[in-house]
Amino acid sequence: MWRYLASRLVQIPLILVVVTMTIFVVVRATPGDPVQIMLGMETSPDAVAAIRKEFRLDRPLAVQYVLWLGDLAQGNLGRSIRLNTPVTQLLRERFPVSLRLAAGAMLVALCISIPLGILAALYRNTWIDYLCTGYTVAGFAIPNFALAMILIYVFSIKLGWFPITGIGSGDAKTAFDAIGPYILPAVALGTLQTAVLTRLLRSSMIDVLMQDYVRTAHAKGLMPTTVVLVHALKNAMIPFVTMVAIQCGYLIGIQVTIEYIFAIPGMGSAVLSGVINRDFPIVQGFTLVIAAFFLFANLVADLLYGVLDPRIRY
Amino acid sequence: MAAILTNDTGKAARDEILTLRFASGARLASRQFLRNLPATSGLVVLALLCLAAIAAPLISPFDPIQIKLSAKLQPPSWAHLLGTDHFGRDVLSRLLYGARVSLSIGLMVVAFSTSFGVPIGMTAGFMRGNVDNVLMRLMDAFLTFPPLLLAVAIVGLLGPDLRNVMAAIGVVQVPVLARIVRASTLSAREETYVMAARALGASPLRIATRHILRNILSPIMVQLTIGFSAAIIAEASLSFLGLGTQPPNPSWGRDLAEARRYMADAPWLFLAPTATIMLAVLSINFVGDGLRDALDPRSWRTRARVASAKG
Repeated sequence: MWRYLASRLVQIPLILVVVTMTIFVVVRATPGDPVQIMLGMETSPDAVAAIRKEFRLDRPLAVQYVLWLGDLAQGNLGRSIRLNTPVTQLLRERFPVSLRLAAGAMLVALCISIPLGILAALYRNTWIDYLCTGYTVAGFAIPNFALAMILIYVFSIKLGWFPITGIGSGDAKTAFDAIGPYILPAVALGTLQTAVLTRLLRSSMIDVLMQDYVRTAHAKGLMPTTVVLVHALKNAMIPFVTMVAIQCGYLIGIQVTIEYIFAIPGMGSAVLSGVINRDFPIVQGFTLVIAAFFLFANLVADLLYGVLDPRIRY
Repeated sequence: MAAILTNDTGKAARDEILTLRFASGARLASRQFLRNLPATSGLVVLALLCLAAIAAPLISPFDPIQIKLSAKLQPPSWAHLLGTDHFGRDVLSRLLYGARVSLSIGLMVVAFSTSFGVPIGMTAGFMRGNVDNVLMRLMDAFLTFPPLLLAVAIVGLLGPDLRNVMAAIGVVQVPVLARIVRASTLSAREETYVMAARALGASPLRIATRHILRNILSPIMVQLTIGFSAAIIAEASLSFLGLGTQPPNPSWGRDLAEARRYMADAPWLFLAPTATIMLAVLSINFVGDGLRDALDPRSWRTRARVASAKG
């Protein structure tokens, strides 16, 4: 177990080096100059050269990358070319927003998928099961931003329960003011995860319910709820918990459409505008954090698998 | 035994057996598929969507790009079955033309990921060893990145051209397909028929293309339907973000983005593209699920037994 953990912890930085190096080269190899985009076409070549020098864009690619790695080792991700603020400061502003949104989406997914998955497995081929199947099938088919628009139309425009946009205004007076703006984005963002998790829990629960030890527990005269919630659920949860960890890794990276529609200042929109403006330091810094988060979530998933299932030893 | 191994008769007999088995398997699978109601209805809807996309210039009631401000934001009526948008353009006509973009992107992505994913996966699974290690670690590196953001980065950098959109969505799918193909190849190459082919002196290339590829077609086909529907959603997402189809050209995702400003007054503007995307994705997913069930040997072996018992 510890040896496995150690080898994985060595692997992660190596993968990150490969990923950042790829991004570094691709971002610079494609047409488009950040300085030109920022200053416009009619600026003096001297001004352009000065800014290029300041951001080391005049150096060879390999030197730029090594210098970037050196800065990274000191916790410095450079400055945004366009905004001229440190990337770490932008990350500090935006990462918590994305994290809160992802956590909200996962909470929604858990609150729906756990009861629905259990009930669908218990009442197979009844209306509950059909409802569950219909829900997951629709959840796989609807793009999250399309669902977001439906939610906005029903709950913000028609019912007026939630504000349409406005995360991060900061002057929340009540708890609802603080949580309210996150609810619709979280529900929309969590659709796919809800569908994935519900389907997974239903099928693993069905597998477990057919096992001998569940029949034994019933035969011992245990209460049906005890059998289902203690004996069966505990084992059905093993693949489920792993999937939750994996999906958490995804949730940070797939927010961009939801951020766009709700005007949320998150990580995805920072990458989007960074890519469009060729703001290299932003693209590199943010993708590094997103990839690291994703790898970490996958590591947690693998470790959880070993912790939860005693038969698996690394 | 010796007779079978002599080249001519042996080859003929083997080919005959192979075609026989293949034909009966395909027939059983298609029978199973047609029995599956969601799968057949999905296939019918998908075929209708493709026909509508091909025939869009013939069946569209209006020009999808022509601006007619006097008719803007009209609710659905007999003249405009799905209403008009803020430029007075017919929503139904735009959806029909948008189907051409979405479906052709989907097909191109499938072609793209197949032409890279299948050879990579098969090479890795067939050669094993270092080749396998290098190829799969490379694929893993691609998988460490959330797919939509990778596509956003690629299209954002290369520019919102249809080919770039296709490549960006396809690149994301290659590692997934390669992994599945590799796993199937790994198990297929240990089968007796591969050993038999090797004993008959077949070259590795021939074994890979004629024996292994043919036997791993079903997981590939199922994965391709998943890739097809994922590509449609990805294209809609990119167009929604302004990175896909550019205005004024019709696209489901772009139309959704433009409908944002008129949500309160013209809900049909976002409901119609949403329903269309869901219809396309659902029908493809149903076809995929049906294919998986029909091609699963565990389910059609019993069918084969039933059929032979009847016969």
